[in-house]
Amino acid sequence: MTRLGLLAIVVPCLALLAGCATHITRLEPVRAAFHRGDLDEAERLIAADLEQHPGDADVLTLDRALVALADGRPLAAEDLLKEVRDRFDHLEQESPVEDAWSMLSDDQQRSYAGEDHEKVLLRAMLAITNLSSDGGDAEAFGYQAAEKQAEIVAAATEEDGTNPKASYRQIALAPYLRGVLREETHRDYDDAARHFATVVSWQPEFTPGQADVVRASGGVHSPRGHGVVHVFALVGHGPCKVVVEEIPSSAALLVADQILSATLAQSLPPTVAPIKVPRVVAAPGLVSAVAVGRAKAEGGVAWQARTSTITDISRMAVEQEAAVHDRTVARAVARRALKKGTVFGVKEGLGVERFGPAALAFDLAGVAWEAAENADTRCWGLLPDSIQVVRMELPAGQHTLALQAVDRQGLAIGKVVPRSVTVADGRNTYVVLQAPDAGIIGEALASSP
Amino acid sequence: MLRRTFLMSVGLPVALWLTGCRGQRQFARIVNPGDKALMGSHQAGAETFGPLVDEAVAKLLARNAETPVQQVSYDDSGEPIPCEPKRICFVGVENKSAEDIGDFKDEIYQVIDTRLLQTPIFQPLNRRVVDAGLLETRLRPDQLCIPEHMRQFATHLEREGEPIDYLLYATLTSGTTRENRDYERSYRLTMELIDVRTGTYDKQSADLVKGYHHSRLSRWRATNPLSR
Repeated sequence: MTRLGLLAIVVPCLALLAGCATHITRLEPVRAAFHRGDLDEAERLIAADLEQHPGDADVLTLDRALVALADGRPLAAEDLLKEVRDRFDHLEQESPVEDAWSMLSDDQQRSYAGEDHEKVLLRAMLAITNLSSDGGDAEAFGYQAAEKQAEIVAAATEEDGTNPKASYRQIALAPYLRGVLREETHRDYDDAARHFATVVSWQPEFTPGQADVVRASGGVHSPRGHGVVHVFALVGHGPCKVVVEEIPSSAALLVADQILSATLAQSLPPTVAPIKVPRVVAAPGLVSAVAVGRAKAEGGVAWQARTSTITDISRMAVEQEAAVHDRTVARAVARRALKKGTVFGVKEGLGVERFGPAALAFDLAGVAWEAAENADTRCWGLLPDSIQVVRMELPAGQHTLALQAVDRQGLAIGKVVPRSVTVADGRNTYVVLQAPDAGIIGEALASSP
Repeated sequence: MLRRTFLMSVGLPVALWLTGCRGQRQFARIVNPGDKALMGSHQAGAETFGPLVDEAVAKLLARNAETPVQQVSYDDSGEPIPCEPKRICFVGVENKSAEDIGDFKDEIYQVIDTRLLQTPIFQPLNRRVVDAGLLETRLRPDQLCIPEHMRQFATHLEREGEPIDYLLYATLTSGTTRENRDYERSYRLTMELIDVRTGTYDKQSADLVKGYHHSRLSRWRATNPLSR
C-alpha cells in the first residue's frame, strides 16, 4: 500500500478527531442569557446558532418559541411550536439510510425527533400558549397531548407484552388543562372530575388536585359573581443532556478487543476512546415557586397563594431517560463493534500484513474513527424545571395581581411583577409567566375571558 | 456491460431512496358512506357511537311520536291538528363509561341535537342558551333533577323567554367482561326525558357490545363458530 493511500485513510479520520462542540455546549450561552432574563441576547444567540447548525433547527426553534412566549408574543410562539410538532411527527418514522449512517458516525447524524417528554410537553405548551391568547384551540392541544402520551407508551409494547415505557411518569398538565376547560363549560363536570382524578393519580404531590376533584364532582366552577384566575408558571431551569463516558462498557470492550486481536488473523483497533452517551441531568435553579397576591387599594400586596407543581419536568425527563438508557448504551456498543469489524474487514480484504506499518496505520485510523464519536445532546434546552399552577376565585371585574418568584425558603427573588387581569362571571382567565432564575422574566401574559 | 453499469448507477440510488428515506408527512382520504371505516382497537369510536346514537334517538322519537289530534268540531273540516312540539332542554351527554371519549362528547351532543331539531316532535333549546342558563344559575347538570333546582332552572329559562317542557339527558355507560387478555365491553347510551312540571321521566336506550382481542388468532377464535 502506498504512503499516499495510507494518508488518504488516516488524515480524514484524524480531522474528525477535532470534532465539534455538542449541542449543549453551544446552548450554554443561550441558557445563561434566557435565565437572567436577557431575551434579546437569547434570541440573537439562537438565530446565530440556527445559521451555523441547521441540523439543530428543530430544538433551537423550540427554544425560540419559549423566548417568544416570554417576550409577550404568544402567537409567534404558537406558530413555532406547531412547526416543530409537525416536523417531529414526520421524523418519528424510521429512516434506514440515516440509521445506517449514524452507525458509521454517531447519533448526532440522525434527525432529532424529540425525546418522549418533549413530544408531549410540546403539545401541552401549545395549549398554555393558546390559552394566553384567544384560547380557541387550547382544548384540542390538551387532547393532543394526552393522545400523544398514550401513543408513546402503547407503541413501546414488546412482542412478549413487556413495555419499558409503562413506568413513565405521565405529564399531569395535559389532563389538568382539559379538566380546567371542561369545568368552565358549567356542563361537563363529569369530564372535569375524570381529568382531575387522573391528575391526582399521576401527580400525587399536587396537593390542590384533591380539592379540584371534590369541586368537579359535587361543586360548581365558582360562586355567582365570581370567576377563576389560573396562573401558570414555568419555573426554574429545565433538564439538559450532558455527555458521560460509559467506563464499564468501554473497559469490557477493550478486553474483548485484546482477546479477539490475539486470536484473529488481524488486530482490532483498541478501545482507547471511551464510549460516550448522553445523560439527562436536572439543574433546577433558584426559583421554587411563584407567590400570587392582589394589589391593595391602600397600597401593598395581599399575598394569597403560591403555585404548586403540576408537572415536574426534570424528574420526568431523568426517569424517562433512565428507562431507555440501556438501549442507548447498547446502540453505542454496537456502533463500536461495527467500526472495529469494518477496519478488520478492510485489512483482511487488502491483505495487510499483521504487524506491518499499514496495520498500525489502520488501527490508528480506527481509533480516530471511534474517538470522533460524540453523544447526541440535542434537547429542548430552555424548558423549565417544573410547570406550576395556582387557581384563584376572584370577584368579576378588574384586578391587579402581584406576582413574585420565591426560592425554597420562601425568600423573594427578583421584583414583584404587577399584572392587570379581567375576571368575568363564571369564566376562566389565564396568566402565563416564566421564572427561570432571576425572578420573573419578560412579560406575564394574561388572557381576556 | 453498459446496461448493467447503467442499471447499477441509476437503480441502486433509486432503490436506496425508496427504502431508506422517510415517507410523505401525512396521507388522508375522504371516507364516503359505505366505505370501510376504521375500527377503534382499544376503545370505542365512530363504529360504536354512530349506531348507539342512531338507535337511541330513533327509539326516543318513536316513543314520543304521538298521532295528531283529530279535531272534533261543528264545521267538520276533519283536518288533524298537529301536536305542539315539546320544548326540550338537552342538558348534555354524561360519560359514565370506563373510557375517556375525548372529542366524541361534543360530537355526540351535536348529532343528537341536530336529529331532534329535524323532527316536528321536539323543539330543542339552542345549546348556547342552555350553557348560559347553567352559568347564570350556577347549577350543575346533575343537580337539575332535584325538583327545586329543576323549577329554578325552568323559571330562569322562562324569564329569558325560553320556556321548556322537558329536560333531556344522554348518558353513556359501559360494562366490561374480561377473559384473560381479551375483554368485551358493552356500551349503553340512555336518553332520559324528564317532564319539568311533574318530574315524571321516560328513558330509552341502545346497546352495543364490542370485543377487544390481543391478537388476530384470539379475534378469529371469538368469531369462528367452530371454535366455540
